[in-house]
Amino acid sequence: MNPAEELKYSLPNSVISVGVQTNKPLAVIKKEDMLKVAAKVKEMGFDNLSVITGVDCGDRFEVIYNFFSYKKKLNLALKAVLDHASPEIDSVTSIWKVADWLERETYDLVGIKFNGHPDLKRILLPEGWMGHPLRKDYDMSTEQFVTIGEDGEDIVSTDGSNLLRRK
Amino acid sequence: MEKGGIRLDPVTIDTTKIKTTKRKPETALEKLDDTGLISTVLAAKDREGFILLTTIDQIINWGRLSSLWPVTSGLACCAIEMMAVSMAHHDIARFGMEVFRASPRQADLMFVAGTVTKRMAPRVKQLYEMMAEPKWVISVGSCANTGGPYHESYCVLKGVDNIIPVDVYIPGCPPRPEAWLYGIIQLRQKIKNEGYGVKWGLNK
Repeated sequence: MNPAEELKYSLPNSVISVGVQTNKPLAVIKKEDMLKVAAKVKEMGFDNLSVITGVDCGDRFEVIYNFFSYKKKLNLALKAVLDHASPEIDSVTSIWKVADWLERETYDLVGIKFNGHPDLKRILLPEGWMGHPLRKDYDMSTEQFVTIGEDGEDIVSTDGSNLLRRK
Repeated sequence: MEKGGIRLDPVTIDTTKIKTTKRKPETALEKLDDTGLISTVLAAKDREGFILLTTIDQIINWGRLSSLWPVTSGLACCAIEMMAVSMAHHDIARFGMEVFRASPRQADLMFVAGTVTKRMAPRVKQLYEMMAEPKWVISVGSCANTGGPYHESYCVLKGVDNIIPVDVYIPGCPPRPEAWLYGIIQLRQKIKNEGYGVKWGLNK
C-alpha cells in the first residue's frame, strides 16, 4: 500500500481520489480538509515539505504539495483544486515551517491566498507589482519597471522614463 | 626682516611697468618656435637624452587602454566566466585589467555579465552612474545583449543598452573566455581610435 492509498484508507472523506503523478503517489484532497490531511501526513512520517506548486488551469487553480520522508524514503504528492474566482486554502505553516516562504512564492507568482499565513506578502517581486505573472490572464502587454526610491525601496511604475535611455 | 645680520627690505614689484604685450608669431617657423618645442628638443639633445614625440591623444589613449580597471560586479552565470577570464589560464593581467575594483569610483570599465532583471536594472544603472569618466561598458552574453532566452519574460530587461550606453557586445551563452578576450581587444581598439588625433589622421 503506497502512502496515498494509506491516506485514503485513514481519511476516506477527505481524499477524493488516488493516482500517480510523475512516479509519485498522488492524493487529490478536498481543500476544506487541508489542515486535517496535513496533520495526518506529518503523522505518517513525511517530515520534509519539498515544494509547493501553483497551477493555473484556466478554469481552476491547483495547488500541489510535494512531500518526502527521510525516515521511510518515500514520496507523496497532495493536490487541492481551488476556485478560479477566489483561490483560497488553509496555510500549513503551523505544521511545516518551510511552508512560510513556499506559500509566499506561490502567492507572489500565482496569486493563491493562504489563510492563516503569518506574513503573506510578495517574496520575489517588489511590493506594488501589478498582477501575478504565472496566471494565464496576466497582462504581458503593459511592461512594468522598477526604480529605487529615496529610502532604497522599490517603486513599480509602467512608464520607466527615469530608467530607460530612450523612450 | 632680520636674516644673517643683513636687513632685507620686502621687494615690491611695480606691475604697471612690466610689458605683457608680445609680438604675435607670424611665419611658420616663428609659430613653431613659440610652442617651445624646438628649444625642448635642442636642450634634450645637448644633454644626450631621449626624445619621444607624440600627440596628446595618442598617449592618453595608450594610458587609458593599458590600465582598464573593471568594477567587481556580476549578475548571473556569465560572471563565472568573468572569473575564469581573470584567472591565470586566460589572464587578463596581460591587458593591465586584473585589478577588479570593489568600488565603482575607481573603475573605468563595467562588464554587464548576466541577466539584467527589472529589479536589478536600477542598481546596474546606479553603478554605472557612480563610475568616474571616462568609462566604458561591455555587455556580455545573450541576456545582457537582448534579453536572450528571457526575451519574452515579464521580469527581464530586453537588453542592458536600454538603460546604459554599451561599447562592445559579446555574444554567447555564456561566452567562452576566448570570446571575452576578443571583446576586450575590440574595446582596446575602440579606445585607441578615440579623440581628434584619428580625425586628423595623426594616429596612423
